[in-house]
Amino acid sequence: MAENFVWQRKHLLGLKSLTKDEIEFILEGAKAFKEISSRRIKKVPALRGRTVVNLFFEASTRTRTSFELAAKRLSADVVNFSSSLSSLGKGESILDTLRNLETYSVDVFIIRHSHSGAALYVSQNTNASVINAGDGQNEHPTQALLDMFTVKQKFGSLSGLKVTIIGDIFHSRVARSNIWGFSKCGAEVWVCSLPTFIPKYFETMPAKITFDIEQALKDADVVMLLRIQNERLNKQFFPSLREYRQLVTLTDDRISLLKKRTLILHPGPINWDIDIASGLKPQVHPLILEQASNGLAVRMAVIYMLMEKRQYEFAG
Amino acid sequence: MNLLVKGAKVVNSQSITRADILVEKDTIVEVKPGIKIPSDKVKIISAEGKYVFPGFIDLHTHLRVPGRPDKEDLLTGAKAAAKGGFTTIMCMPNTQPAIDDYEVAAWVRNKAEEIGIVDIIPIGAITKGRQGKSLTEFGRLKEAGCLALSDDGDSVENSYILRRAFEYAKMFGLLIISHCQDKELSGQGIIRESFVTAQMGFPEWPALAESLIVSRDVEIARYLGARLHLAHVSTKRSLEIIRQAKKEGVSVTCETCPHYFSLSLQDIVNSGFNPYYKVNPPLGTEEDLKAVRKALKEGVIDCVATDHAPHTYLDKEGDFYDAEFGMIGLEFAFSLFLKMVREEELGLEIIAEKMSSAPARILSLEKRGSVQKGYYADLAIVDLEKQWQANPENIFSKSKNTPFLYKKLKGVVEYTLFRGKIVHRAQS
Repeated sequence: MAENFVWQRKHLLGLKSLTKDEIEFILEGAKAFKEISSRRIKKVPALRGRTVVNLFFEASTRTRTSFELAAKRLSADVVNFSSSLSSLGKGESILDTLRNLETYSVDVFIIRHSHSGAALYVSQNTNASVINAGDGQNEHPTQALLDMFTVKQKFGSLSGLKVTIIGDIFHSRVARSNIWGFSKCGAEVWVCSLPTFIPKYFETMPAKITFDIEQALKDADVVMLLRIQNERLNKQFFPSLREYRQLVTLTDDRISLLKKRTLILHPGPINWDIDIASGLKPQVHPLILEQASNGLAVRMAVIYMLMEKRQYEFAG
Repeated sequence: MNLLVKGAKVVNSQSITRADILVEKDTIVEVKPGIKIPSDKVKIISAEGKYVFPGFIDLHTHLRVPGRPDKEDLLTGAKAAAKGGFTTIMCMPNTQPAIDDYEVAAWVRNKAEEIGIVDIIPIGAITKGRQGKSLTEFGRLKEAGCLALSDDGDSVENSYILRRAFEYAKMFGLLIISHCQDKELSGQGIIRESFVTAQMGFPEWPALAESLIVSRDVEIARYLGARLHLAHVSTKRSLEIIRQAKKEGVSVTCETCPHYFSLSLQDIVNSGFNPYYKVNPPLGTEEDLKAVRKALKEGVIDCVATDHAPHTYLDKEGDFYDAEFGMIGLEFAFSLFLKMVREEELGLEIIAEKMSSAPARILSLEKRGSVQKGYYADLAIVDLEKQWQANPENIFSKSKNTPFLYKKLKGVVEYTLFRGKIVHRAQS
């Protein structure tokens, strides 16, 4: 990281627009917050009096809980807004909802929405900071950051690693954020799936594309599995799960192709016997839970940094 | 009273000449330099330094009535048209109810004649309710004043129905206008399939959704020896198909819209996904934009139409997904075409050709599309250098949905004459 690096950003909308320095700065910060999470008293007063709104227009338990806890551990006031409980569908638009909530002097909006670009849209329409907690099929930056954090913990550096992402790339914001993030930090990213799950023009992403799962697994340092997003499959992409299992699922046979040190990641929730053979559950699941626990530290770091930047703004 | 336009340069599709234009009632009676008439016998428009074009003809507008007069109506549509130098506009039948029978078409036609600012000609639907299932009564639609038929907004999906439409239309000399979009392929798409959709996961709209139907419709027209006009062509591949079809003698013409030679999907990205850039078909790549310009120059594209698509503030308030497709165009087409013509270092004649002469030919409109003796006195008198900026306050259309809002453009229509009457005068 460059010396005298100063965090300048007001929003975290995605990793595509971040520099390597910025990404590493967040990961460094997360290290400190991870340490706090292991203390007996896990709360710090950093953001007392600040208001964080979880603006979730799409179902989520794990990500929302993680953000909520992250903000609470920083002593911020947290409000959860989810669309099922809201006035959306009663003729009130996202914008109206946003404007109404803004009257409470919100400092940070954490937004999840089924539309790509939704976080950008909210950032264009508010004075608060915006954190993207997943926008359509575009980005899910904190998920990728926690993945990178987990990998860094294990390997020390991301540079030169072979990272293979397997599964439904087409619908995955996690895949896209990870491709941007890992490639910026010097890893070689591979994606492997059924051809129908690789969008046309995906060669413009900094990732190598293969349909050969053995090639994808060979020499991989990190294997990230993505679930089939049934809720987004309103059109057909492949003939059957039976054939998908034969072609893609991480099985005993396939796992034997991996190096001993290979790290297996999954953003969850896992479709056992589709993404990964359930026989591997005892072996793989603990790793994945460890990965999830890093999410808290990363999200504390992100919220804290964006707020600090705002403090500078107010001071200036 | 008679009218004399003095000192202008007259732009026709083949020539630019310095001449005065003498108008009697609704007709041009003389076009030559130095016409002298005592000034008490004639109203004089001094047009020194200005350019006179034949009144523009738009084959593709949406005036939203009947059904959504909150978006546009015939009066505001006509005023917007006149402000843009148009004197003849065709309005599409995707209204509520659709313009799919004599009564609705006649209602539009009669209302338009009452208003009288410009000529508004309704386009009838090809199929009842634009449902693609059964043909409308072409003969009665023609009686009501329709000159063309289209299910614009949808392709006629059923190739059998479309075939019969082409055949039946021959009896009435009605022009079939195709909207080319395979809806299975375009799906929920909102942005052209490209690096943008791959990288950001926006629902994709492949170029194939257009070119596939262009190709089908050209094949049907070829097979039947029928006449086909293609609406809002936007992709390079579509243009290659049309180029080839023309070479082989298929009776096909096509239009593009100013946004397809002025904007690309990069502009959507640069705008931060401003929903005012959302349009059907979606903005193409840089390569498409270049192909559209080339096809205009080389005559593969016959004419420029606006696809003027007014929407309310609310319709465009949401994000890129929620917003409606479409942008207004009547007040912007000339300035945007002028900008392109200058960037491509072309003569002004191409504007007269693509916005007046060619559409008049395509519709077989008599006495329109040229500034010459015996033609209607439908004229646009233009200051090419005058700069203007669109604001919600100075847009005549009821809707303000345009990506060119607050942008500076050159080229102001100073006067629009329709049948010898001044129907628009620019504020100084």
